[in-house]
Amino acid sequence: MAQLELTNITKSFGGTIAVQNFNLAIETGEFISFLGPSGCGKTTTLRMVAGFEIPTSGTVTLDGVDLTNLPPNKRNMGMVFQSYALFPNMTAAQNVGYGLKVAGKPKDEIDQRVDEMLELIQMRDFSRRYPNQLSGGQQQRLALARSLAIRPKVLLLDEPLSALDAKIRLELRQEIRRIQRQLGITTIYVTHDQEEAFSLSDRVVVMSRGLIQQVDTPIQIYNHPASDFVAEFVGHINLLPVEVAQAKEGLVRLGSQLIRAGQFEHLNGRPVRLAVRPEELKSGFAEGANNLTGKIESVTYLGAIVRVHVDVDGHLVSLEMFNERSLNIPAVGQPYQINFPVEACWLTNGEKE
Amino acid sequence: MKKTRNRKLPGNSQWQWKNLIGLLPFFLFIAFFLVMPSLTLFSGAFQDVDGHFTLANFSFLQNTFALKSYLTSVWVSLITSVIGGVFGFFVAYAITAERAPRWMRNVLTTFSGLAANFGGVPLAFAFIATLGRTGFITALLKGICFNGAGGTTICPFNPYEHGFNLYSVTGLILAYTYFQFPLMVLTITPALEGLKREWSEASANLGSSSSQYWRYVALPVLWPSLLGATILLFGNAFGAYATAQALTGGSIYLVTIMIGQQIRGDVLGNPNEGYALAFGMVVIMSITIFLYVMLQRKTTRWIKS
Amino acid sequence: MKTQKKNTWAIFWAVLAMLYFFVPMLGTFIFSLRMKRGVLSFQAYQSVLADSRFLESFRYSATMGIITVLVSVLLLLPTVYWIYVKVPWMRPAMDIITILPFVVPVIVLVFGLIRTFGRPPFQLTLTTFGTDILMTAGYVIITMPYMYRAIDVGMRSMDVRTLTEAAQSLGSNWFQVLTQVILPNLRIAVLSGALICFATVMGELILADFLVRPALGSYMAGIGRSKAYEPAALAIISYGLTWVCLGLIQYFSRGSQEQQLTGR
Ligand SMILES: Nc1ncnc2c1ncn2[C@@H]1O[C@H](COP(=O)(O)OP(=O)(O)O)[C@@H](O)[C@H]1O
Ligand SMILES: [Mg+2]
Repeated sequence: MAQLELTNITKSFGGTIAVQNFNLAIETGEFISFLGPSGCGKTTTLRMVAGFEIPTSGTVTLDGVDLTNLPPNKRNMGMVFQSYALFPNMTAAQNVGYGLKVAGKPKDEIDQRVDEMLELIQMRDFSRRYPNQLSGGQQQRLALARSLAIRPKVLLLDEPLSALDAKIRLELRQEIRRIQRQLGITTIYVTHDQEEAFSLSDRVVVMSRGLIQQVDTPIQIYNHPASDFVAEFVGHINLLPVEVAQAKEGLVRLGSQLIRAGQFEHLNGRPVRLAVRPEELKSGFAEGANNLTGKIESVTYLGAIVRVHVDVDGHLVSLEMFNERSLNIPAVGQPYQINFPVEACWLTNGEKE
Repeated sequence: MKKTRNRKLPGNSQWQWKNLIGLLPFFLFIAFFLVMPSLTLFSGAFQDVDGHFTLANFSFLQNTFALKSYLTSVWVSLITSVIGGVFGFFVAYAITAERAPRWMRNVLTTFSGLAANFGGVPLAFAFIATLGRTGFITALLKGICFNGAGGTTICPFNPYEHGFNLYSVTGLILAYTYFQFPLMVLTITPALEGLKREWSEASANLGSSSSQYWRYVALPVLWPSLLGATILLFGNAFGAYATAQALTGGSIYLVTIMIGQQIRGDVLGNPNEGYALAFGMVVIMSITIFLYVMLQRKTTRWIKS
Repeated sequence: MKTQKKNTWAIFWAVLAMLYFFVPMLGTFIFSLRMKRGVLSFQAYQSVLADSRFLESFRYSATMGIITVLVSVLLLLPTVYWIYVKVPWMRPAMDIITILPFVVPVIVLVFGLIRTFGRPPFQLTLTTFGTDILMTAGYVIITMPYMYRAIDVGMRSMDVRTLTEAAQSLGSNWFQVLTQVILPNLRIAVLSGALICFATVMGELILADFLVRPALGSYMAGIGRSKAYEPAALAIISYGLTWVCLGLIQYFSRGSQEQQLTGR
């Protein structure tokens, strides 16, 4: 049985529905991310787990116990906020020990646990500092230690790295994963950053407008997105308007050029779009693959990656290639041949999310 | 600020002082109309009638009449700043974080601004018209009568038969509270708004009860502001004159009333003792304002960082 | 459930506060209508408004209020501007200096003013004009904490130095910068300071009473000693006056916020 179960959760604020029909079972020790654009209901869901919001309908159970209506201070869940939410009037050590203090634990137990936690986040030297004497990254690590000090059953993180700068964000991301592994604690991590979600999680929940779009491992979500929304939200993708050429053969036409795209019975004859990730496209001709010709529209160097836009019969197709020395991209306006494997593309009914 | 100073430091700090010339009119004004009058009083406080130095003027402290006026003033100011402070704090609490309905919050914010600026004579009039011997509420309460035994009529709610008297220290406290608690609302609301919702959430999340949150987090964070605001209220009441004068006709001896009578007609029989009386007020006010400034500094430092 | 409980307390305090605000006000208002036996009437108001001394003292106080505002702005605006542009390191000191009028209670200030300027060499209290100068100075001192803060807050919200340099680079002199660039941007701050200043002067008793000038405050105190219903009417009138001043402040500062929003 799963440790934490969210069943049929719906939450509305007045007229607006923030979360709808949310179902999720989380195993002990699992690292789950909620991923989605701002306003899609990630925070609201997390707050319902923490007990700060009460679901309009549905239940939250932990180890088989229904805690839907349990107040937050009885839930034993650790929460880390985007704004750190450290108590400004307490030192680092006092912040970490707060949960134990209000639980009435003896002083030496508190001291020992505080030490242990500060060690875990490698901040023992800072125990006497006040939050305003610490950097953003240190404050967030402290907030993490504070929430872990009460030995929570579940760790909840709401965009914990959003307020930090890029380099610290990367460092702290790895630290969070290390600590989570070390403690084996069940974790829900809210983020709008796909890279964060993918690099950290066992499974990712992609959300949009209060609805779950897909729940799966990062690889599956990337390679087999359940909807156009997921495909577009996760990484980059070409969504090219195509016409059905020969339904039986599985052939479609982009402009005047034929593409083999496999089955498309599921499309019910609606307008069709072809989905293919830019990194699947290669330059040159390849036997057995889909081959297209066009003209170079633009070339952008992003560092390790080079992004090339190719105009194929009036449609822009984007390619992403590693910036190798051998790479030889023609000038803008020159003809260019590209190919991609048949398995790398799929058809959608073209409904734009 | 530091940067400017550093940039201009090399060799010409004199140039800095020259820049103060633009402040001359201001400082002259302050010197003439604030410093000079104060000095007149201060020097007078330490002189006898012939202009010799003496501490004798402070012997008024042995004059129970004058000493009592200080005690009354301090007492009234203390009690109204505590009552007004506590009450105002709860009201401010109610109008932050959407706890009370919106229309109530709007009404309270607006009226706090109004009432905090509404003092002096009209305030006394309002209380006389409401709670005075013939005031509106007094009349209402008086009018609640029952038929008692043996055909007598009993009117048990006349406040004046229960020891209440508006023209007394009690009445003064009631009237002062009218501007004290709104002032508290105005000064403490920003501090309450500075309490982040995440703090209470983080606290609850870590297992604390709401009272533990207030004890360990909210009150310690608010403490400098609370103290600062209360000190401000104290000073506000301590210097008040008009309300007391109009309400009680000068029959309650506050220091301010004493000084007033001293200006009019030297009731102490020695003008220099009057100066000493005024000097004492300035000393007490200086202490309170000094405390206020110190605490204010501390608060802003906290909020800023 | 928990939030419900909290809200009950909040509403309790809010209602209590509103009662404290409104009961005296309402009581005063109803009391003021009872001048004629047995009926409610505005006779107390008529009686007040018909009193020539009321009108005189009102005019006197209003005039003093306006003069005070003008002197105060003329004194403080250039001062604050100068501080921001030339001597920013003086600001903490100025914060303390401008709080000093709080330290010297008005009654003490009056005492000092009378004893200082009522004697040779000044002898200002000998003439009404001299006394009025003293009154104005006293009012400016009393209201300085409000006015200074209002201007200071307004100044802080704009980049005075850059604005000045920009204007100077376009060929303005100091006076032009101050009147054509700084003042228009400070309109709202100065206005709200001015209105508080004005309201304070209109309600002030001590200065007028001890310097024996016919201001509204001393008129009211006199009425309070001799009449019953007129004081109530006067209290309501002065409520209304304060209300108007604060309402104007709110109205103008709301306008400024909108401007800011659309400006962005
Ligand atoms: N307390 C609230 N009152 C009203 N609407 C809210 C409240 N909290 C969230 N919402 C709405 O619910 C939706 C989801 O919000 P949220 O869960 O914060 O999104 P996310 O965290 O994914 O950015 C948003 O449309 C937001 O406006
Ligand atoms: Mg969010």
